[in-house]
Amino acid sequence: MTDNTLELQQEEKQFSLAKDAFDRLIANKLALVGMLLVVFLFFIAIFGPYITPYDFLSQDLMARNQAPSWAHWFGTDDLGRDIMSRVIYGARTAVIVAFSTTFLSLIIGIFMGSLGGYFGGKVDGFIVWLIDITMSVPSLLLVIVINVSMKPRLVNWMDEQFLLTGNEFYRNTILVDFVLVFGSLALIKWPKAARIIRGQIMSVRNKNYVLAAEAIGVPTTKIVMKYVIPNSIGPIIVYISAALGEAMVFESSFSFLGVGVRPPIPSWGNMISDGLRVWQLYPHILAAPAAVLALVTIAFSFLGDGLNDALNPRQWK
Amino acid sequence: MTKLLEVKNLHTRFKVRNGYLYAVNGVSFTLDKGEMLGVVGESGCGKSVSMMSLIRLLPPAAQITEGEVLLEGQDLAKASASEINTVRGSKVGMIFQDPMTSLNPFMKIGAQLCEGIMYHKKMSRAEAMKQAAKYLDLVGISNSEHRLHEYPHQLSGGMRQRVMIAMALLGEPELVIADEPTTALDVTIQAQIVELVKELREKLNMSIIWITHDLSLLAGMVDRIMVMYGGSVVEEAPIDEIYKNPRHPYTIGLLKSIPSINTVAGSRLPSIAGAPPNLFVEPQSCPFAPRCAYRQERCTREIPPLEPVADDSAHPKHRIACWVDVTKVNAEPKEGSVL
Amino acid sequence: MGRYILFRLLKWIPSVFILLLLIYALVFFGAGDPIKLIFLQAPGDVAYDPDRVEAIRDAAGLNRPFLVQFIDYLGNIAHGNFGNSLVSGRSVNSMISAALPVTLKIGLTAIFLLSIIGIILGVIAALNQNKLLDNLIVGFALIVWGIPVFVAGPLIIVFLVLVMDMDVPYGWSGLFSFKVIVPLLVLGLNPMALIIRQARAGVLEVLSEDYVRTARAKGIPNYQVVVKHIMRPVLTPVVSQIGLLVIATLNNSILIEKVFGLPGLGRLTETAIKTSDYPVILAIVLIFSTVVMASNLLVDISYPMLDPRAAAKKTGDE
Repeated sequence: MTDNTLELQQEEKQFSLAKDAFDRLIANKLALVGMLLVVFLFFIAIFGPYITPYDFLSQDLMARNQAPSWAHWFGTDDLGRDIMSRVIYGARTAVIVAFSTTFLSLIIGIFMGSLGGYFGGKVDGFIVWLIDITMSVPSLLLVIVINVSMKPRLVNWMDEQFLLTGNEFYRNTILVDFVLVFGSLALIKWPKAARIIRGQIMSVRNKNYVLAAEAIGVPTTKIVMKYVIPNSIGPIIVYISAALGEAMVFESSFSFLGVGVRPPIPSWGNMISDGLRVWQLYPHILAAPAAVLALVTIAFSFLGDGLNDALNPRQWK
Repeated sequence: MTKLLEVKNLHTRFKVRNGYLYAVNGVSFTLDKGEMLGVVGESGCGKSVSMMSLIRLLPPAAQITEGEVLLEGQDLAKASASEINTVRGSKVGMIFQDPMTSLNPFMKIGAQLCEGIMYHKKMSRAEAMKQAAKYLDLVGISNSEHRLHEYPHQLSGGMRQRVMIAMALLGEPELVIADEPTTALDVTIQAQIVELVKELREKLNMSIIWITHDLSLLAGMVDRIMVMYGGSVVEEAPIDEIYKNPRHPYTIGLLKSIPSINTVAGSRLPSIAGAPPNLFVEPQSCPFAPRCAYRQERCTREIPPLEPVADDSAHPKHRIACWVDVTKVNAEPKEGSVL
Repeated sequence: MGRYILFRLLKWIPSVFILLLLIYALVFFGAGDPIKLIFLQAPGDVAYDPDRVEAIRDAAGLNRPFLVQFIDYLGNIAHGNFGNSLVSGRSVNSMISAALPVTLKIGLTAIFLLSIIGIILGVIAALNQNKLLDNLIVGFALIVWGIPVFVAGPLIIVFLVLVMDMDVPYGWSGLFSFKVIVPLLVLGLNPMALIIRQARAGVLEVLSEDYVRTARAKGIPNYQVVVKHIMRPVLTPVVSQIGLLVIATLNNSILIEKVFGLPGLGRLTETAIKTSDYPVILAIVLIFSTVVMASNLLVDISYPMLDPRAAAKKTGDE
């Protein structure tokens, strides 16, 4: 019997962390399904509106409130618009808001987290306090208030700018809706990202090998690149997937309440709200966007959970 | 001396990601009433797992695949869950290695001590607390009635280990298994605990199995020593015999590597070359062979059985698992090692 | 302990103050003029009399400078006077005291009931790790976790009414009516999912602890090991989630009350925002934040009770 313990050890070293995590993610069937659905969602968001048979705005008053049929797979709504096309466009709304929110909150969060983690002391104390208050406010309420109060002013401002410059761009008041939604959402969400970055920076700073590196003159940027960033990638990825899903839910909550993206621009939220008025007669108007939104959130849930397991393995004890 | 425990050909393995880990491979021994057995071996040799297998205190991934564990005639390896529960805590008591984590930090000491005997002996809470206080006194904890109402974090490491001992003894067991009870304690406390155990053993006349990786600790304490390696027993003999007349190459290596007061200052500490065996394959030959200076061809082909030493100069109860007679063969030590 | 509470309160007050200031400013400088809105029933309607609007505004004190109004407001709050609704003229206090109990009853019941169910399910899942029961429970929690209440609510309603042929659960008839079960369920689904995962993770961690092994070594039956040794440590992480739960439930109550027609704070909020009725909005913000802060405080206080080690740290006893 040969002693093959040494060979075993060498095999294990060849395991790179990323490959290991990826393998684990793929092996998790639920996460795989979630990932595929999410990819499908992005695909639809980008290309969907180009391949739908009907324009999401076009009305056909002869074909109102029709139940699902071969002509209209999801049926039509009370203005004769094809629901499936609107649902597909709703995907675009959701994805745009989700990405903008996540991106913005990440930027703010990384910035604030780095400030706090790097400077420590009073600066950090202030940032932590800021994070605490932001996180303890009922977000829905705050965001709604921001939206509702800022919107008229911004719309007025846009109108003024249009009158001043004659630039067509300022006619898009819809843009105001979008910006307000993802802007205010980002304001709510940055604390989570900030916490992650701050936590990473602080835990790395206290490590002996960092002190040693500083002592021999390794520049701070290099320390950040070598230690902080690689360690943060995992939690940031988990954050991104969670944030994307949450942002979609928030966005649809707002449009459900009539704040944010308004008709005729379809958002699953406002479609559900419309559907809620007539569902007893025409349930399909409600069911289609609701089911789609449910499916999307479930997909993100699976994916997020799978990512979490893949990047933070707890099985090896 | 009456036989208390008889273990026959015990095999335990763990289910792991891509197969099994063969932790215990054919362990057999007997234990008489009132006897104290020391089990020695390095980390991973299977000493803890084999003794925990006796009362089936194993994680879900582990299974006993073969063998019998006869405690006063009852086979524990095949007993039902409720039968095992009757044995644990009343016939067999356990003392664990790390007193800092082995007590529940959320429960008071008194509650933890009492729950076992309240269940086994159907005592009331008041009776059990009285009993618990008695045993706390026995293990040398002062102010015992007050202590019962404290939480583990309020006690020092040494005191917690004493509580563990009291907890094991409360059920008035016939056998106590102590799994490295002093390894996590500092040396002075270690000595106190050893003294305590010796004292208690005389008073209560229990059988004790003491597991450790420190051979020198057992001198002057145990009756018999069992040396384990790679999941099997390689040598077993009364304590004096082991020190005077070790016959297995591994035991010899162990003894040689213990620094003594006679060691020349500045000389190299002897060691055994090689690495621990790979337990992910079921052993087909002697587990120590790759590192053995006395290795012969047969050692790499067949597993040597545990048998009494053939030599008349050896003690009649001395058994080893080896194909080679070290008194007749010359060693070929590996580079820098004692073997 | 008393000092600790005081300390936390001191931290809380400036936060709420700033929040109030922020919202006050937002509504003040931002949204439409509530008086104008009353007159402008249809967009583009110019049949309102600007002078009349100004007169009403003056009478209501709405033309004074920002800070004056704000300080005045603070003074009133200190006396428990939240002002009157700009839309209906009713006192805000009465509006809130009508609506608050509804939201509280539903919210608290949902959190409480479904947390308990969640803990039980989580423990069961952990004890059967990787077997069918575990996968079912975890899968259920995962599915339920993400679905927004205004999606789950309508879907369930549609199912109950169209498929099961039940009555529409709309409106409020008190806490012990049959109708309340559906909104309670929908509101509680998200908290339950969170608690299930938290409890399960907690139990799994505890299961591998040495002291559980010690307990088993004493030969006590399994149910005793679970109840006495495993449940206690699990409570701490579960309770720590309650702060998050309260926030989420408050958010969700706004949505739920619209779907199920419940006359609670959520509904009040929605209408108040649409009409820029800012005395109401401000009072609600104050209440929401107070509730959140209070629950965070309660959670914090409970730690020493749940974990003796934490208690020792607080009183410096080691």
